[in-house]
Amino acid sequence: MASAETARPRPLDGERVVDLTKIVAGPNATRMLATMGAEVIRVEWNDDRALDLLRAIRPLAPGGDPHSLNRSGLFNNINTGKYGITLNMNHPQGRDLFKRLVEKASVLCENYSPRQMERWELGYDVLSKINPRLIYLQISGMGKSGTYDAYVSVGPTAQALSGLTHMSGLPEPMPPAGWGYSYLDHSTGYYGAIAVLAAILRRRRTGLGCYIDLSQTETGLMVSGTAALQAQLTGHHTARHGNRMQAADWAPHGAYPCRGTDEWIAIAVQNDAQWAALAAELGAPEWTRDSRFASAAGRKANEDDLDRLMAEATKDAERYDLMNRLQRRGVPAAAVQKADDRCERDPQLKSRGYFVPLPQSEMGTWNIEGFPAKFAKIPVDVGGPPHRGAPMLGEDSDAIYRELLGLSPEEIATMREELVI
Amino acid sequence: MSTQALLSSALAGIVILECGDERGEFAGVLLAGLGADVIRLEGKHGSNSRRLGPFTTPDHDPEHSLCFSRYNLGKKSVSLDVDHPAAGEVLGRLAARADVIIDSGEADAVARRLERYREMQRANPRLIICTFTPFGLDGPYRDLKMTDLTHLALGGVMASCGYDPRPDGIYDTPPIAPEMWQAYHIAGEYAVISITAALNFRELTGEGDCIDLSIHEAVSTCTEVAIPTYIYGGAVVRRQTGRHAAENRTRPWLRRARDGRYVKAFLFWSGHEARVIGEMLTEAGIEHDLNSEEYRELRRRSPSEAHDHFSAMVDKLVASLTAEEVYHRAQAKGLLWASVRYPEENIDDPHFQDRGTFQPIDHPELDRSLNYTVSVATDGKNRAMEFAHGAPHLGEHTQEVLSQAGFSAAEIAALAAHGAV
Repeated sequence: MASAETARPRPLDGERVVDLTKIVAGPNATRMLATMGAEVIRVEWNDDRALDLLRAIRPLAPGGDPHSLNRSGLFNNINTGKYGITLNMNHPQGRDLFKRLVEKASVLCENYSPRQMERWELGYDVLSKINPRLIYLQISGMGKSGTYDAYVSVGPTAQALSGLTHMSGLPEPMPPAGWGYSYLDHSTGYYGAIAVLAAILRRRRTGLGCYIDLSQTETGLMVSGTAALQAQLTGHHTARHGNRMQAADWAPHGAYPCRGTDEWIAIAVQNDAQWAALAAELGAPEWTRDSRFASAAGRKANEDDLDRLMAEATKDAERYDLMNRLQRRGVPAAAVQKADDRCERDPQLKSRGYFVPLPQSEMGTWNIEGFPAKFAKIPVDVGGPPHRGAPMLGEDSDAIYRELLGLSPEEIATMREELVI
Repeated sequence: MSTQALLSSALAGIVILECGDERGEFAGVLLAGLGADVIRLEGKHGSNSRRLGPFTTPDHDPEHSLCFSRYNLGKKSVSLDVDHPAAGEVLGRLAARADVIIDSGEADAVARRLERYREMQRANPRLIICTFTPFGLDGPYRDLKMTDLTHLALGGVMASCGYDPRPDGIYDTPPIAPEMWQAYHIAGEYAVISITAALNFRELTGEGDCIDLSIHEAVSTCTEVAIPTYIYGGAVVRRQTGRHAAENRTRPWLRRARDGRYVKAFLFWSGHEARVIGEMLTEAGIEHDLNSEEYRELRRRSPSEAHDHFSAMVDKLVASLTAEEVYHRAQAKGLLWASVRYPEENIDDPHFQDRGTFQPIDHPELDRSLNYTVSVATDGKNRAMEFAHGAPHLGEHTQEVLSQAGFSAAEIAALAAHGAV
């Protein structure tokens, strides 16, 4: 359990997190805790039911054994900074060991289906007796309490239910576009981290542990803005508006085609001065002097025509060149960047050191997405206490069972042979 | 200020000064939900969000903006203009009693104020400062003009969201920015992670810190597989209708139910899935051949054709039921499906009522209350977050807060006469 010592204290020094999470939502939460200095121990097991599917999911690092469970780039990005052990939770001895781990921990995070821990007789009622100061974060799609406690969910499920899928896309009759990834796996991870950080602060002040039953769908509702409020007010269901602004008369406000294959620029005009600047940059074509577009209200009322004319005006421009020209005139504009753009062509991410190279024991050193804030004092490190990428499956088993639980090499060997660890 | 809710007591006693524009308000409201005493220093004319809709009254009264009320629940309002020459003394005295200052806006304005905050931190070394700017306080893009839309473009979210291309592979619809200020949500969540981490750091060390948060970097972290797909495989994911962006085209997830609503019904092609979908088809009275030898043979001979056939049967199943019927029947069988709901449909859902997800907040101008999403978790029984009161009127707490900071009535009147409040 080698740790890359830092000279300065970290916010979660002394916190040990037992991490039973899988896929993205839960691991994102524990990634944040590792970033802030917690010793996060991923508890995994390699069989069809228990294995974190992310270990086998593409993209894989090139070369090496294509069947290896230690080469997934997404797993490496999300589980960076953690330690890893194997433990068979379906074995009675495995559950006994798990209780010993919990006794030595300060936080437990898991995102099994909501009733699983109780099936193992490892609910908060049991674990809090073993460790009264324990903070137990349970993440599930709907939430453990409530009428849907048996329902199952992944990010897209919660996005559909919470309204986020509906609120992304062009107006009906087009179908919703939804989110092109599991946004709520990210958000739920953030709220999981917030809840645990707040609960640790509370425990440091009061000595009290707690149980937190976090719902992924509720995180979706939390980021649904004013939609449900407006629907209550008007009695009409929430509509979809494409890229247009509904909260104010900001127009043009959208994504417009540029030169090249599937290249776009987003432009958001918030006031008359920006409109005048945009028109000037476009060469003041006659249509920009159309009286319908002279006021914000007029531009908003004639947005269909305005968007059509804007698309004509931008289609031959190089997107970064147009972005820079508009920005020089004070118009909010940005290229629609794909992943290659952010990795290769974004001078800001490069300048701020956004990508952090971290070693992973099998794959070597790869760039990891960083934490989006700089701290003057706190040594924030996405590599966590070990200052490395994600653990290989069971990479730290020997060290943790020996140093933390005091098992002898013989006991470890026997348990390994009996498929306990 | 704090309530009995589990997480709403976590930051009890923490005083937060929130300056700047609307970008940081979501961070502030989450911190208020965790029990902090959040004082919004919004200037004499009020926050920008007071002028953003929707409004509860047709006159667009800044006191009746749902945008402001959503993002300022539970805060206090002081009408201090922090850029006014006479504001320095007030801010200094407030900061002497505060734990955190958040300042959001364009980097130039925030950096100017930061010098004063640093002076205040020298007087109160426990003070935590969090700047919340489009790109952080350095780098070549530092001073670009941005909005939520342009952040979602530059940060990579839009590139993953939208509709399938035409059959020839050409996109004829733009990338889509999901609605409702999601860039500011993401960055706000990171701000709260950063601030609660800094509060924990202060518990250990007694020292405050200075946090430089970049909205662009926050958004960039939130695109799931897009960056790893490029880093590890050199490939770029492409947007698709209602499902994850991917390197290669995948089968649709969205299906239309009998009532015209959509269902997110994705398929993993597992044996369990085929069996239970067969059961659901039978229960819906739809003849099918999923248990036949012919279908099994098709699966062996031509998996792609078998998938097409299976998917068509699922379409038929979904089309025979309402979206809510599909959702509940599928969940009863352990499928991860969901109806694509409007966000407001969850208000009356017994599950979220049981969990207390929504809290009624009084709107005197409407002579009724509206239900706001206030919590993402329970403590096992009751909601874990709630608000002691709704959003404040402009300057509602100016007298109270300045009096507590030691200003006499005459001094407050003088500040008003000088135009500082």
